[in-house]
Formats: sequence, C-alpha cells, structure tokens
Amino acid sequence: MPKSDLTISLNEVLFYFTRAGFGVKAPIGVSEDFARSNIWAAQNGFDPSECSILALDNLDLKKSSLSIKFEKNSESSHLFCTEEKVLSSLEASVSCVDWIEFNGLDGELKISNVDCPFLIIASLGASQCSGVKASWTDQDNNSFEVNFIDDVKWEMISSSEASIELSHYADVYISSLDAVKSKIQNGNNKIFNLENEKLKVLNNGVKVGEKWPEIYEYFSRCLVKSSAESRASGAGAGLVDTD
Amino acid sequence: MSSESVLIDIESDFMRSPEKVMRLDRMGSSFPTRLSFMRTLIRRMSKENWQFKRTLRKVDKDGYGVSVYSAITPKRTYSLIAFTQEIPADMRTDRVIAEVWDATFSLFDGVPTQEDIDYLAENTPLQEGGRYRPSELVLARANKSLRVFENIISALASGNQPDIELISSVGYLMRTTAVYGSGKFGCADRAKIADRPECRAPFQIELLAVYLIRWFTIDLVEELAKERGGETAVRLDQNISRFIGVGNSTGLGMAPFLLKHPTLIHNWVVAKETALARVRSIETALPGTLEVFLKSLLQASQHIDEWNVADEVQTARITCLTDEIQSLRMWCEDESNIFRPYPWNGIYQFVEDNFSLECQEMIVSLIIEPHGSIVDDLADTMSTTTIPKFKAAMSLSQLKEVVADAYKWATTIDFSLQESQHHFWYYSEDKLEPRFGSKGVDDGVDQEMPLAIGRDVHDLNEVLASTDEDMPIGEFAMNHPQFRHIIRRIQNTFERPYSEVQDNLLSESMRPLDLLRFKLAFFGASKFDPKSDLWTRISMYQGAPLPEQIQDPNHDCWSFPIAGRSQSYPCISCSCQKAI
Repeated sequence: MPKSDLTISLNEVLFYFTRAGFGVKAPIGVSEDFARSNIWAAQNGFDPSECSILALDNLDLKKSSLSIKFEKNSESSHLFCTEEKVLSSLEASVSCVDWIEFNGLDGELKISNVDCPFLIIASLGASQCSGVKASWTDQDNNSFEVNFIDDVKWEMISSSEASIELSHYADVYISSLDAVKSKIQNGNNKIFNLENEKLKVLNNGVKVGEKWPEIYEYFSRCLVKSSAESRASGAGAGLVDTD
Repeated sequence: MSSESVLIDIESDFMRSPEKVMRLDRMGSSFPTRLSFMRTLIRRMSKENWQFKRTLRKVDKDGYGVSVYSAITPKRTYSLIAFTQEIPADMRTDRVIAEVWDATFSLFDGVPTQEDIDYLAENTPLQEGGRYRPSELVLARANKSLRVFENIISALASGNQPDIELISSVGYLMRTTAVYGSGKFGCADRAKIADRPECRAPFQIELLAVYLIRWFTIDLVEELAKERGGETAVRLDQNISRFIGVGNSTGLGMAPFLLKHPTLIHNWVVAKETALARVRSIETALPGTLEVFLKSLLQASQHIDEWNVADEVQTARITCLTDEIQSLRMWCEDESNIFRPYPWNGIYQFVEDNFSLECQEMIVSLIIEPHGSIVDDLADTMSTTTIPKFKAAMSLSQLKEVVADAYKWATTIDFSLQESQHHFWYYSEDKLEPRFGSKGVDDGVDQEMPLAIGRDVHDLNEVLASTDEDMPIGEFAMNHPQFRHIIRRIQNTFERPYSEVQDNLLSESMRPLDLLRFKLAFFGASKFDPKSDLWTRISMYQGAPLPEQIQDPNHDCWSFPIAGRSQSYPCISCSCQKAI
C-alpha cells in the first residue's frame, strides 16, 4: 500500500485520510471531515493525496495551526488563526462550513492565510453548500473562483493554467453566489458535474500518485508496533487452528 | 389483520426502549430472526428465480486450481472465482495475520474474462497483499475443517453417507476467516452497487459470496469423492447437504464497524424491534400462528441440544436455555396462558419476567418467525445512505438535554477508576489486525481507536457544565475541536436513539464477543461458538436451501435447523403454508 501510482477506493480514501489527519494530531472529528472532503475531491477527479499533502506536512512540522477565532461586524466576518502561523486548512474548512450553517452568509466571510484553499472548497462541496462563491489569489498570484451552482454542479474559473488543488497560501473569501461579480477577466472556465464524475470514479477507482506514500506514512502513525505478546493475545484467537 | 393496522411507531407501548435493548448483555444474547440478512437474500433468490451455474472447473485430482460459480439474477450475473491450494497444516490459522489459506475467493461483478481470472490468480490468493479493482465486489478466504472434510469425502467415495453426528458437531466443511467488501483493498465501493435492488439490504453482496462459497465447498467434496471412488461414489443426501453451512471465524474487526456506523445500527435495531412490537400488539392471533410457534419450540429444543461448545460460560447459558424452553413449553400447555387477547405479548412478558436474556432473545426470534406477512417489509428499511452530520446551528442547551436524556449511562460512570478505563482498541501494524489492549500492559494507548464513546461523552459533559448555553455548537467546536466527533455522534443519537451501545466499552468486564454476536445475529448466523472473549466461530446458511432447492416450497423455512432433517413444522410465511 505505501507505493505510489495506485488505484484506491473511496472507502480507502475515508479510512486512510481520517487516520492520516489523526496521525498529524488533528482531532478525530476534524480528521473525519477532512477525509470526507478528500472523498469529494476524489469524486470530482482530483488526486486527494495531491490536495492534502501540504496541509498535513504543515501540521506535522507545526508550520500551521488548528487554533481559530472569529470576528464579526455588520459588513463582514473573519476567521483567522490565533497564533503567528498559517491557518491549517483542516480546521479552516470545517469552521467555514460551520460558520455558514450557524451564522448564514449575510455578508462576506474572509478566512485569512489558509495553506490549502482547495480543501475549503472540498469541504463546502462535501457539505452540499449550494449558492456559495469562494475566491482567492494565492502566493503565486494565481486567482481562482469557485461557484457552487447546486448540489451537484460547480464551476471553477482560474486566471491561469495552474492546478486548483496545488494553489497554496491565500486569504479566501466566501459569499453568496449572486452577491459578488466575477473579478477574473477572460479566465479559464470549467464546470464539474459531481454525479457524472462520481460514476466514473465508482467504475474506475481513485488514482493516487507520487504523494500517496507520504499520506500512507502519516496514516501508519496510527498503527501500533506488534510484539510477541500482542501478536499472541491481542486478538484473542490462537495462532494455529486445526480441527 | 392487515399490515396497515399493525404499523408501529417508535413511541409504541410494545416497543422495547433503547435503554433495554442496547445493552451489551442483551446484545450478546442475540439470535437471528426472519429479518436477518441471509434470510432476506434467500427469499429474494427464490422470488426472482435466480439461476446458479458452475461455469469453470480447472483443478487437479486433489481439487487444487480455479473454479467459477455464478449467480444469475434477473438483470445481472455475479461470479465467485475460487482458488484452491495445498497449505502446510501449521500455517492454517483463523487470524487476520494468516498468510495462506486453503481457498481464496473474489466475487466478480459480471462474467469474468480469462484476463480477469488471470489477474485475480495473481492477487486473490494473497488476500490483503493483493490489489483489487472496482470489478471485484468481495474478497474472502476459507480454511478446511479437516476432520469433516476428509470424513465426508471418504464416506461418499465408498458409497456411504457421512457421519451426521460429526457434521452436526462442526456444521460446515470450510470456515471463512474474512469476508471483505465495500471498497476494501481496492474492491468496488458500496455506492457502486447500492442502488441495485438485490444489493439494497445490508451486506447482501457479501452474503451472496458466502452462499456461493458454501455451494463451492459442497460441490468440491462431491467432486473429490467422485475422483476417489469412481462409480462407487455417491452424492450427499439432500437433507444432509442442506444442513451443511459455511463456518466463519469472527474477531475484533467487527466491533469497530458497529461503533462506526451508528445510523446503520439504529436502522437494524428499529426494524427488529418494530417487528417484535407489531407481533406483541396483535390482539387475536393470526390463524395457525400459535400452533406453528408451539411446534417451533420443540424444534428449537432439538436445535439447542445440537449446540455444543467448549466455552464454559456459553455452555452454562445453553444449559439454562434448554431448561427454560422446556419450562415455557409446559407453561404453553395450559391453553389459558396463550389462547387469550394479545397472546404474543403475554408470551413475551412471561419470558421476560421469568427467564434469562438468552431465552428472551430466542423467543423474540420465534414469535416473529410465523409473521412474515406483517414484518418482512421491514427488511427494506435496514440499510442507509445517511452520514451523520455535524449540526453547527444546534444550541448547547439542546445538546445538554440530549446528553442528559440519552447518555445517562455514560455520564454516571466514574472514569477516574482504573477498571473504567482498563481497555483500549488499536490497529496493529501486523496486517492492520484490530487488537484489544490493556492499559499499563500493552503498548499503543497513544494510537487508541476513537471508540471510547462513554468516556468522551463524560468529558464533554464536564466542559458543557461550565459553558454558556446560548453558544451555537459551531462556535463551541472552534474552541474545543477535540469534541467534534462526539458531538456529531450525540446529535445523531438525538434522531436515532437505537444507534448507541449503552455500556462502557473500555471497562475491565467488557466482552467484545457481545458486539460480535449482536452483529452476526443480524447477518443470520447461528451456533455461536466463542473461543475467547474476543472471537467466535459461527455457522452461516446452515439449513438454507442449496441452489437446486431455491425454488422448493420450504425455501424460507430454516430457522434453528436440526441435523439431517428438514423443518419439522409447516412454515406459514412462504408457499409451504399449504401444508397447514
């Protein structure tokens, strides 16, 4: 399993990514949502290991933080990290979805300095947040807009050929779909239909590339070394069965 | 009485409460019912007139090689590809950590090409070490019960029927040690097949694989007997072959599944409890049902007589059950006890007031059994596609209410006591085998699986006590992300009260075996044979019709089977009701 260029199932995405999140010490509930976001990414044809590896690396190296606070005024709301670090997209993504649910989108929500904006998109998608727009300009000056048209259809507009899942470090702005006009002129436009993409994945599996072994490495931190004692007694069954 | 008139909701007086049902001791006394998933599958096979064919047999004189067995449904074909090999006796183990098996299987979605078979020949015998594709639905393996396997071949080869007592003492020719589906090791995700009518009920595709494995084992011994005995050889008597099930050895892997699928578990339990409540609410017994029940008590007694295990605890329970069924039969001889209004409720209440949990749960199964016409529709409600959501807009005051109402069992445990946190669950690096450790003894506490539900609710409850009640949960979760998973779980329980095991899963006295039996009973397993507190052997499909019997009138009559004989009383739930 640790080798690259594998085809895995969606259930394996759930299993391995939940534990990979836990392996970098994200709380289990956050890790569960992180894995669901990765399933959504995979269902849309993305390699989930590419989408997530930087966020896991950052948490592991303590370059990012899960500490989050919010501020709200009459015009807008703001989610930000309470430490002098990048805001981990694992926490940013669940907090964004929660915020929309308990606060509504009656203005713009800014999420500051997020390491992997696409994980916020995946989380919104996995939570079926329709009628929502997200936009950002990343550290390489690539701009992206994502419009969630309905439960299955979403649109991506980008200012360049850069891959959205590899877009890193940005302030992400969330608003109602009809509240803000597109700021990207003559951008590349692609419409995704989750139902069609999902069917392809169910029939062909999820391709994971060169980053997969690193995901597996984080996952494997949840495994306990086997000893002679645990091997003999931990599962309760004998080592040889003849009858 | 029409089915509409006995619709029961969750508030019915006849419905047993979650506090009563979802306790480990009762869960660990479960028996299969007519809503169990194997029963559902067999009824569908018969109703839709599924066809079964062996389409390939390329094996040597010892039966080693590859075979393909197909189930042809109205719209699709499913093919079991079976690989057999010789293995050293000292490598034959029921454990996940095994490396070789007598037989390995893939259930293929459709009719495999030679290329598919070649691919699987490279992978299936490796089991967890292989990789599979969305065209494979199930991966499984099995080992022989050597003494039964050889006894049957020898007997048949010499023109005789095998020793029925030996068959009865084991119950099967081969024992599966893992049956993987739902996307494991690259196999198809459940979502690929979930909309197919034959796959909608839980675990139907895995249990189809097991059904075909059972057929394969019987076919294998008959072919080997023919090879050895030539014209002298005979086939198994149909009553004997029908009694041969397929074994299974189940360990800890099933327990985390139960805890990680609360919505599914709620649906299973509500269906069974609704069936019971519908039966208990019947004012006047449906024609023939009481007579069938009384006869089924006799057959159940015989079934229990054949249920012999080495485990001392289970043996004591079986002995007690034997006496209690006898007492119940005597009580039922007084017609005034049963021929009265609400007879089923009267029987249930008498058993609950006087007998063990083991007996209570067997009677639940027996009184549901003659009521197919009013309970079988519930089988359609037992699966789910719902994934519990974190509801950020719920208020903390509401969450507190749910904790107070539904989790008293957790908040009243003293987790400062060592015995309350004695155990932990973990995955070993050894083939990801799930294991059960003791704190202070075993390594791995830091990698504990998140199954400490009672403890986590307890910890959350303490923090909630000092938190502003008007705060939305979403805001609380930003400050306390460590509680996100348990909040989601509590919110799910609010909507699905039968989803939670209401006991401390970490306590010193906790027996994972209870969880295993609960789940296996829903599958339809019988003859629970505990080998420790952590694993059990069982029989599956014992008494079920074989492929050539699937259209027989008595195809649905196989609860509590007895050795070498068909059901001793007429069933009123399928076409053999004509026999009444």
